[in-house]
Order: sequence, then C-alpha cells, then structure tokens
Amino acid sequence: MAHGFDDDTILGKAYDGRLVRRLAGYVTPYWGRLSIAVILLIGAILTDLLPPLLVQRAIDGPISAGAVDGIWPYFVAFLGTLLANFLFRYSHSYFINSVGQQVMKDLRVAIFRHIQHMSLSFFNRNPVGRLITRITNDVDALNEFLTQGVVMIVADLLTLIGIIVVMFALNWRLALISIATLPALSLIVAIYQRFMRAAYRLVRQRLARINAFLSEQISGILVTQLFNSEDRSRVTFARLSDDYMQANIRSVLIFAIFIPSVNLLAAIGTAALLWGGGNGVLAGWASLGMLAAFIQYLERAFQPIRNLAERYTVLQSAMASAERIFAVLDTEAEVRDPEQPRRLPTPVRGEIELQNVVFGYNPAEPVLRGISLRIPAGQSVAIVGATGAGKSSLVGLLARFYDVQAGSITLDGIDIRELSQAELRRHIAAVPQDPVCFSGTIASNIRLHNAAISDEQVRAAAELVGAHRFIEQLPGGYNHEVRERGANLSIGQRQLLAFARAIAFNPEVLLILDEATSSVDTETEALIQEALARLMRNRTSIIIAHRLSTIRHVDRIIVLHKGRVVEDGSHDELLARRGYYYRLYQLQFAEVN
Amino acid sequence: MSHLRLLVPYLQRYRRRLLLGLLVAALGAAISALGPLVLRIAVDEIAAGTIDLARLFWFGGALIGLALIDGTMKFAQRMLIAVTSYRIENDLRADLFDRLLSLDQAFYQQNYTGDLMARMTNDLSAARQFLGPGLNGAATALLTFISATVLMVFVDWFLALIVVLLLPMATIVFIAIGSRMRQIFHRVQDQFGVLSTRAQENFSGIRTIKAFAQEEDEIAVFTADNERYRDLNLRYVLLSGALWPAMTLCLGLIAALILLVGGRMVAAGELTIGELVQFNAYLALLAFPMIMLGWMVNLYQQATASLQRINEIFLRQPAIASPTVPQQPARQGAVEFRNVGARANTTDHRWILQDVSFHLPAGKTLAIVGATGAGKTTLVNLLGRVRDPDVGQVLIDGVDARELDLAALRRMIGYVPQESFLFSIPLRENIGFGVATIDPDRLNHVIEVSRLVNDLDQFPGGLETMVGERGVTLSGGQKQRVAIARALMRDPQILILDDALSSVDTHTAAQILSGLRAEMAHRTTIIIAQRIATVRDADQIIVLDEGRIVEQGSHQDLLARNGRYAAMYRRELLAAELEREESD
Repeated sequence: MAHGFDDDTILGKAYDGRLVRRLAGYVTPYWGRLSIAVILLIGAILTDLLPPLLVQRAIDGPISAGAVDGIWPYFVAFLGTLLANFLFRYSHSYFINSVGQQVMKDLRVAIFRHIQHMSLSFFNRNPVGRLITRITNDVDALNEFLTQGVVMIVADLLTLIGIIVVMFALNWRLALISIATLPALSLIVAIYQRFMRAAYRLVRQRLARINAFLSEQISGILVTQLFNSEDRSRVTFARLSDDYMQANIRSVLIFAIFIPSVNLLAAIGTAALLWGGGNGVLAGWASLGMLAAFIQYLERAFQPIRNLAERYTVLQSAMASAERIFAVLDTEAEVRDPEQPRRLPTPVRGEIELQNVVFGYNPAEPVLRGISLRIPAGQSVAIVGATGAGKSSLVGLLARFYDVQAGSITLDGIDIRELSQAELRRHIAAVPQDPVCFSGTIASNIRLHNAAISDEQVRAAAELVGAHRFIEQLPGGYNHEVRERGANLSIGQRQLLAFARAIAFNPEVLLILDEATSSVDTETEALIQEALARLMRNRTSIIIAHRLSTIRHVDRIIVLHKGRVVEDGSHDELLARRGYYYRLYQLQFAEVN
Repeated sequence: MSHLRLLVPYLQRYRRRLLLGLLVAALGAAISALGPLVLRIAVDEIAAGTIDLARLFWFGGALIGLALIDGTMKFAQRMLIAVTSYRIENDLRADLFDRLLSLDQAFYQQNYTGDLMARMTNDLSAARQFLGPGLNGAATALLTFISATVLMVFVDWFLALIVVLLLPMATIVFIAIGSRMRQIFHRVQDQFGVLSTRAQENFSGIRTIKAFAQEEDEIAVFTADNERYRDLNLRYVLLSGALWPAMTLCLGLIAALILLVGGRMVAAGELTIGELVQFNAYLALLAFPMIMLGWMVNLYQQATASLQRINEIFLRQPAIASPTVPQQPARQGAVEFRNVGARANTTDHRWILQDVSFHLPAGKTLAIVGATGAGKTTLVNLLGRVRDPDVGQVLIDGVDARELDLAALRRMIGYVPQESFLFSIPLRENIGFGVATIDPDRLNHVIEVSRLVNDLDQFPGGLETMVGERGVTLSGGQKQRVAIARALMRDPQILILDDALSSVDTHTAAQILSGLRAEMAHRTTIIIAQRIATVRDADQIIVLDEGRIVEQGSHQDLLARNGRYAAMYRRELLAAELEREESD
C-alpha cells in the first residue's frame, strides 16, 4: 500500500488494561460467536494431545505383544482424533475471524465517521497519510490482536500445560528430563525476539524511507528530468535501497543463528530422553512406547513457547495501534452541533451579521481582530485585501469550518453556532480555493452523492458556468472518467467543475467564492462573470477575488487589512475616498494601460 | 514463465555464492537424514536389552553432533542463498529506478503512483522471496526427501512407498488451497485499494465534502465498501482457515498408516521397533520441507506474476531519449516550430496542437494566450521534450530537438510549471535544484527577483528550512516563487513561464514582473498568461484556439488586426473603464 508509513514504530507495553477494556466494548456485541470459537479451540487443543498417547499405547500394547490385529482400534481412534481436530481447528478459525472482521468493520466505520465530523483544523494538523494509517494498518493490528493475540496466548498456555500434565501422568522421570530443555528454549526465544524486534523495526523504518522517497520522486519526475537531476536521485535512492538491504541482511543473520540453535536444543532434548529412557527401559521404570511418545511430546512442547514470544509482539503493536486509534476517537470536534439545534425560519432570507468577530488559527495570533459587519439579505459583497489580510478566514467562519474566538455570526438573526452544520451548509455553497475533484465521472463530480440533482440539472449547471463546452469534447461527455484528484483535467477545467457543483446545489441563500477564478483565462472568466451576475441576483453573495474586474457587479466592497475592516462602501465611494481600495484599483488599471 | 529470464543475469552475477549454497544445502540434507538412523539403532539395542550406559551416551552424543553439523550447514546455506536474494533484489531495484528516471510523461500518465510503488516494493519482494526462502526451501526439501527416501528403502520398501507416495499429497493440497487463496486474496487487496482510495479522497477533499454537507452520504458509501471488504475477507478465511489444519490432517494420516502397517509388521516380527521409530522420525523430518515445497510453488506463481509487472517497466523503452549520435546545442536559444502537430495521446487521437509554426530568435520574448485547453502547456512541453510532436519539427538553434543531446537541451531551459512541485529537501536545495554548485551571489539574486525575499523571515531556518510534510508547508504563491527562483538559478538560455503568477497577489506579481524584465532581456522567454498586461510587451504574441494559431504578431499588429486578441484587449480595457466610469 502506498500510504501511511510514518510513526509505526512499536514500543511500549504489551498490555494496558484501560485500552483492552475499551477494545472489549467493540467485541462484546459478538460474544456469542466468540465463546463458540473458544470452546472449539479447547476441543482442538485436547485432540492435539492424543496422538502420541495412542502411539505409546499401541507400541506398549499389541505391537510389543505381537497381536497383529490388535492395532486396528488404535488406528481407528487415531483417525477419529485427526478428523475431530481438523473440524475443531477449521471451525474455530472461521468463528474467530468472523468476529475479527466484523469488529474491524465496526471500528473502521466508527473512526471514519468520527473523522468526518472533525473540524477543518483537525485536518490541518493531521496529514492525510496518517489518518489513512489509522483506518488501515492500525485497525489491522487490532484484528491480529483479537485473532492471533489474546485467544491464542491462552491456547498456547493451555497446550503447554496439557502436554506437561500428560507427560507427568505417563512418567514423571521422563517428564522431568523433557521439561529441563524448556527454560533454555525460553531463553533462546527471548533473546532472539529482542534482536529480531529491533531488526524488524530497522527494516520497516528503512522501507518507509524508500516509500516516501519513491512517492515524491514519481510525483515530481518531470521536475527531476527537466532540471537534469537524475543523478542526484539515483545516488540518494541507491543509498536508501542499500540501507534497506543491510537491515534485511541483519535480520537474516539473526534468523540463521536462531533456527539451528533451536534444532540443536531439540537434539539435546532427544539425546537426553534416549539416555534417560534407555536407562528406564533397562531398569524397568519406562517402556519403549513411552520413549517414542515423549520424543513426540517434546517436539510439540517447543511450538507454543516459540509462538508465545511472537504473540508478545502482536500485543505490543496492538496496544500501540489502539492508543493511536483512541487518540483520534477522543479528539473532540472543535466545531460541534448544539444538543438541540435551532432551525432557520423559512423561507431563509440570508441576512448576515458579524459582531466583533475575533479569530486566529493560533489563538495567540489573531487573523481577524474584531470585525463587525451587517450584510442585508440579497446584497452582494466583495472582500478585497492583500494575502494574509484574513479574507479566507472570514469565509471559513461563515461556512463554520471554524468557530469564532470571540464575537458572533448570525444568519437571519440566529447565531450560526445554534444551527446544525448540515442545516447551515444546505444554504451555503462554497467554491474552495483548491478545486477538488474526486474519482468518478464528470457528472458525479458535479452532483456528488446528491441523487436529487438530475442529469438535466447537472447539465444546466455546467452550461451556466461555461463548462459544458469542454465536457462535451471529452470522450463520454458527462460520463467521462475523472481520475484520482482530477489528474486528467486541467486546473481551469477543475475550477469550472467546482463552479458547476456549487451551482447545481442551488444554494438558496449564500454563494461564497474564495479566490477561485485566478487560473481561468480571460475568455472563460468572461463566461463565468456572466454566470455569476445571474447567480448573485436575489442572493446574499460574498466574493473574494484577486482581480477587481471580477467584482464590479457587487453592491458593496469591504477592504480587509491585517484583520480589520479598513474600508466599506460601494465601488464609487471607495474610489472617492482615495484609500487602500483606490491604490489596489490604480495598480490594476496601470497594468491594463 | 519467460519473465523468469529477467533474473538470469542477476543470478549469474552471484553464481559462485549460489552454487556454494546449493552444495552446503545438499550436505546438510544428507547429514540430517542420518539422525533417525542413529535413533533406530539405539532403540533396537534398548529393545534387545543389549545396550549399556556408555553406548547410550555415545548415541546421544552422535545425535547432538549431527545436529551441530546440520546447524552449521543450515546457517551457511541461509547466509549464502538468502543474503544473495537480498542483493539481487537491491540490484533489481536500482535498475528499475534507473528506468523510471528515464521514462516519459506518457508512461506516468498511464500508471498510477501507487501502482508503480507497489512494483518497486511488493513485486520486488515477491521475486526476492522466490529466490531466497523459495529456492532455499526447495533445495532443502528435495535433497532431504531424496536422502531420506534412500535410507527408508533400505529399511523397508513397502513402508517407504507409503511415505514417499503419500507425503507429496500434503504438497499438492497446499498448492491447491494456496492458489485458490491467492485468487481471492487479489480481490481482497483490490477492495482494500478501493477502501483506502475512498478514505484518501475524502480526507483530501474534506473542505468540499463539508461545504456541501456530504458527510453522511460519504459514511454510507464507506460503510458499504467496508461490508464488501469484510465479506471478501470472510471468503478468504474459509480457505486460509483450512490450510494448516489440512496439513496436520495429511501428515497425521500418514503417521496413522505407519502405525497401522508398521505396527502390524513389528507385531509379526517383520520389522524392528527401532525401524518403526525411524520411520516416524523421517515423517517428522520431512513434514516441514514438503509443506515448504508447496509454498515454493505458490511463491513461484507469485514471482512470475510480479516479474511480469516488473518486466513491463523494463520492456518499456523511454519515448524521449537522446539520439544515438547526439548533437550538442549551440546554446543560443533560438526556437522554431515547423508545422507542429500533437495528438492527445496514443489512444485518444484528437489533435491538441495542429499546424503550429513560428520563429523566435534568441533573446526574444514570445507570449501565448488562449482559452483553457487550447494547447498552451502542450506547446511549451515540446521544447524541453516532455513530449515530442506527432508531426512537424521543433528546432532549437536550427537543429531538431530530437537530434540534440537530451541533457544538454534541458540544461538550456528554465521551466516554471503551472503547478509548482517542490521536493522535501531544504529550501536552498530546492532553489538550486539541478545546479551542480550553488553560487551564493546568484542565489541571492534569484531570491530577490522572485520576491521570495519577502517571505524568508517566515521560514524558521531561513534557506535551510525543510520543505514538505516534515518541514514547513508553503502557500501556493510561495511555491510559485520558489519555482521561479529555481528556474532562474539555472541561468537558462530559454525561460518558460507557464501561468507562473496565478497564485501570487497583484502587488507581488507586479514586483516579480518588473524584476523578471531584466532577466528576460538576455534570454529567450516564453510566457503563458491570462492577462494582456503580462503579455503586451512581448516581441511576439500567439493566440491559440483549439490547438491552432489563430493570430500571431506583436501587440500593435494584433490590435490592428482587430481579431480575437483585440477583443480580449477591449474586454479588459472595458472592465477597467467600467470601473473608472462608475467611479466618475
């Protein structure tokens, strides 16, 4: 997967009661299926213990006694055990995974829903890649936790205990010899895990670096090529790739030492059993069948110990993922709907009033420093000012992407914080600064998910903004496929689509245009200007534009400077005042002549 | 299948290590097959009661000794074969990246970034797994199987037959379930892609989603995608959950048969108890390698699919490359287009440019105006050979651009693209991108001209500030100014500005333009712009409409012509006059 490589380092504890209790909340709805899975698992563990015992009984019984046909019952029992074991294991896997998949789906949707309702400031703080990681990798880690973690740890422990109990029941002396190797195995496994975790972490970090570099290189390949920087890229990439290989070779080395060590330990255990068992047979306190059974049990006792160490890593990474997921879920939206939202009086008139509005992305550095304005219903207003004057912030506040720090904004006399955001935004269409496109078709980019907007309305909106001409020329017209982020459309085309979208939603009250016309050529812009003039009629409209020619149709112009309203009036009034607006106008006029 | 051939030169590069690795693997396999033999002799002697403590000790020592030798061999085998597989992966990755660096825009438009990255990581990893654990496991499995079979046949051919014939059953079941699993897994992966793309698009476009109150609809779509993903996963689990239990079942079945047949033979006195234990030990020894063999087949299938995807990149020849006998450019900067035509792409044959001809002497300025989609960017892309024309010729200093040394041609050009792309490297390196040594005076000069100097105090580390996710995020206008500085830093003969001031406010734009005039005086310059004010001083102006030059000449010529350009001019003038009239 091409995203989310950051901060996936696994550190910290493997068990955190607080996190596990919260996770349990997502599992409890499926407790029925989960308990079936556990019962099936116990069945599987018990049937696992039987085969060596059957071998022992067969060898010490009919085989030693020379009873040729006496072996049949053991064979049949063996087969029955095998079949039962298969069924237990298979159905366990199905039940536990069905719980896991269900919980994952619930969690993903819960996180997505929560993120959907976050304020824009949240998205400014969190890069998209990080959020994707929460929904994908972190949720997967929790699935591992459920299916491979908790349940299997219990299973491994039960298996180990079961084997030890059976061994002691069979022969305590041989049992003591057998379990003597287990502490050594635990030690080897623990040391191995320690080295391997560090090695894997290095591998992951270095792979993440390769991925980040590659992604940027592919996106910026044209710049690299046109600026003759291929060699620089080659050298950097070779270094990253080499680092990655070295980290991998390190993990190979650790593994190459580990596996033979475990095998050697198994051989030592077998040799000890042979020596002790041989002694026992000669002395009469053991049988050949026991020797054969113990050799098999020893092998089986190794597996759970090796598993347990791996499960520890699963737990650790699950705890880290849970921590990160809950951190997202615990982030409260800064912009929230009130408990009992008020409704706008119908019909909505569109009168807006700002009283002493103060706002800053960073509270210590206000962008808007006390703005009071009254915009009567139906008035069209242009906001002008230099970059950083606070124009975009003002629009963000009106759409309630952010909340004011002090003061208030009212729509038809109701504070917009007392409305639900959905209600507010049904009456406001905003064309954002970056024209955003989604993968889908041209038509789906105009109507989004709103099925109420008919094909005719989509087309009418496109015609109104002058997008129809280029759309018709595309293969498939309105059904032309738009690629991720509108990569197959020009910026101008994307902007026209964004306009068409705003118009298709037919905002009853307010149209906000946020410097959106800056990349469209004169001719296209002339088309848009016409469309705008039609749209602004009978609507409260607020326009932000770089160029003064785009705002000549408005009733009123507000000049913002360093977060304050410095001029407010009609075009003529402001020119007569010979202030800030006048200078902006002069600059524009000087350019034309 | 044939895609495996891709690996041959790489395998040859490391053939000594690989052959040595196979030799060590063979030795290891032969040694490990001896263990059960020792066990048999010991058990038989215990059963016969002829053994004493010293001999028991000796047998135990032999088992440990064999394990030591076997362990050493396995260690050497991994260090030789597995490490080599990582080296080959590394070599392949470097070669792939080399190819990516030389491929043209047409290629990048046909392939998604994520897909290319998957080829550079996941597909390479699949190829490496086939070479490393795959070959390693296959070698161990086959060699152990052969040596164990020989030793078993010596003991009892009938019992040996049961093991030899039935053990591959585990391999076959593994392959059968494994390949079905892979088919479904692909669909699971595809759905995962749908899921993460959906989230990615949603989060990137959250402003739009919120502005149109689409949150609930988005959640509904995301939930439906998730349910599909869950269902596919459950179908996958139905298969994957069967895999290991089925292996246990197969191996258990053989063990049960050995117990029955072997046990009857022991009871009848045709086989010793030690030999029965020996057979059981072989079964344990062979179980894992035989499963590995099945896994190997899956790895092989995955590797061929992955190698095909990797090979697609290797087989793709760069459409834009230096000719075999390149000419060096005269580095004056004269540009000429002769009847140039360019189609949309190989599948879409519409003309983006048609019959475009003009001559721009070195040092002169050409301005291009025209509607969105008129072909302006395509036109300037032909200069640096971002793409080549389908008909006609682009000549630089009188030589067809396709006959010039590509690197030298591009070194002549300073390009400011419509969308400024910066790298996650310090600001200074972004400005000096592609310049061998950064001259501090030139650096200061271009920062001045691009008006980047206005923003420097906003960056915490000044010019050393990191750009991008790990550093500061630049505004659209700041990015454009860095892009302008970057293009000027090369001191190019040809300067291309593709709507380069669109995100800069009027005041700053005027400042940049006045600074640029001095830079443009001694360079060939091509400006794409939307405003007459920006283009009127150009020596030549071209009006493009649907890929054709509809008007061409100086500002005065075009006004006199009273065509489209004049109309544009009048429209702007009118706008200004309207504002003036209104103010009167």
